[in-house]
Amino acid sequence: MKGRAYLKARKYLVAASSAFRERTAYGGSFFGSVLAYGLFVFVFSRVWAAAFAGRADISGYGLRQIIWYFAVAEIPSFAFGGSFWSLSQDMKSGQVAYLVSRPYDFVAYSYAQGSGRALANSAVLFAEGLAFGFLTAGAPPLESLPQALCVLAGLAMAGSVQFLLQLAIAMTAFWVEENAAFFWIFQKLALVVGTLMPIEFLPAAAQRAAWLSPFPAMSYVPARLFASWGGGREAARLLGFQLAWVLLSALACRAIYAVARARLTVNGG
Amino acid sequence: MRTSRLRAYARFLGASLAVNVQAVIEYRVNFLVQVFGMMLNNAAFALFWGVLIGKVGNLGGYGFSDVMLIWALVSTSFGLAHVVFGNVRSIGAIVQKGELDLYLLQPKDVLVNVLASRTVVSAWGDFLYGYIVLALIPGMDLSRLALFSLLSVSGAAIFAATFAAAESLCFFLGDASGISDAITEFLLSFSLYPETIFDKGMRWVFYTIIPSGFIAFLPLSILKSAAWLLVPAALGVAALYAAASYGFFRLGLRRYESGGQMGTRL
Repeated sequence: MKGRAYLKARKYLVAASSAFRERTAYGGSFFGSVLAYGLFVFVFSRVWAAAFAGRADISGYGLRQIIWYFAVAEIPSFAFGGSFWSLSQDMKSGQVAYLVSRPYDFVAYSYAQGSGRALANSAVLFAEGLAFGFLTAGAPPLESLPQALCVLAGLAMAGSVQFLLQLAIAMTAFWVEENAAFFWIFQKLALVVGTLMPIEFLPAAAQRAAWLSPFPAMSYVPARLFASWGGGREAARLLGFQLAWVLLSALACRAIYAVARARLTVNGG
Repeated sequence: MRTSRLRAYARFLGASLAVNVQAVIEYRVNFLVQVFGMMLNNAAFALFWGVLIGKVGNLGGYGFSDVMLIWALVSTSFGLAHVVFGNVRSIGAIVQKGELDLYLLQPKDVLVNVLASRTVVSAWGDFLYGYIVLALIPGMDLSRLALFSLLSVSGAAIFAATFAAAESLCFFLGDASGISDAITEFLLSFSLYPETIFDKGMRWVFYTIIPSGFIAFLPLSILKSAAWLLVPAALGVAALYAAASYGFFRLGLRRYESGGQMGTRL
């Protein structure tokens, strides 16, 4: 006899695997994200090549490291990039009413679905990033199996924070009809704080402020672990920081959902 | 005869824009949130460039104010194209749904009518952002402001022409949204970064199919050197792109088959 916890988890695993299969059913559906990711990595490899002209090092990173950094940092935001739009649309169209009446936790179900879809995206983008990195920067700066495992854990948690915060912003649709502007600002702050460049590039005061926000957890951590491995102790600290933000984001989602649900008005039909 | 037709179309564009504006400002808070949101969205990149150029001095010979001028030109041109021609990136969807029938029955030119029948709210933020950046760059005066505005008009025409041509591929390929999105991404991505960071061998692309050169790089040098004599040439290039795009749309329109959709447009 299987335990209750297993049965509870099983429905979310089914949701994740269905989303994964749906995403991989049509190879052509990856075209847009593969192209945009490749274009972005190409353009920034040129930006960094120009920035490093005549320099071996900027804030502790070399050209090879920074290109690999960027290739890895972009994966979580591209893999989970579109989640906000579909979630927000579900809130506005009333589709959410169909979801909340079902016997599962809305936040956990949305997270399982988003993760299934993003896993397929990440696998494709990771392969593309490796190929692009090899071509433009040479061999990846991977030194050991523990480093590779930490990078994978970092990517998984970065994606989780990305998704959960996008869900939280999408739920503002219960109060504000047009909430896209909130997402644009969130997206651009995430880009500047740790995606386009490592946190070490920011002025000291901005670095301190960045570490008080979730943004370093969303791309900096896996990219730093991949491009500039600082040993097990640093990895544990960075992964711990991410874990704290995964939990905080999940709690924030549940709190917002609890308040938002009371505002939901369903007109049957 | 031709002048009076041009005047009539200018009046038509003005009237369409006025109606579109009335429709979007009906939801005032939504309008303001989107406009200011887009401006903040663009400003985030200024932070990135400020930090990077602060560290390295310049990027391929471009200083911070050069990169900001590129952003101002591209942002205002892109915004203007979508403020006046809000449907410019929806032509493919309109054709595929058979909604072109509504425009075919009306007396105005189909392409102009389709393009001008909507405005994109967030594009107002892009449009204004360029002027705000311009006002913050030292050494700007009324003459440069006029030059900037003219160059933005030519940039907007090139943006609209390129997007309309990409969307018109749907007449030939059916669902061409993937290619159209790709051209949009390429055009924006290459226009917003210094030209000199790209290899010389690929720069010809910026003056042909992905005309970033005519939207950003050439206008930047005209603006910096106040080369008024080159403005007619810039406007002439924009007119050429617009004519080519219009011809391509008309060519595709011959292949359009009505789905017999009934509808009204007020």
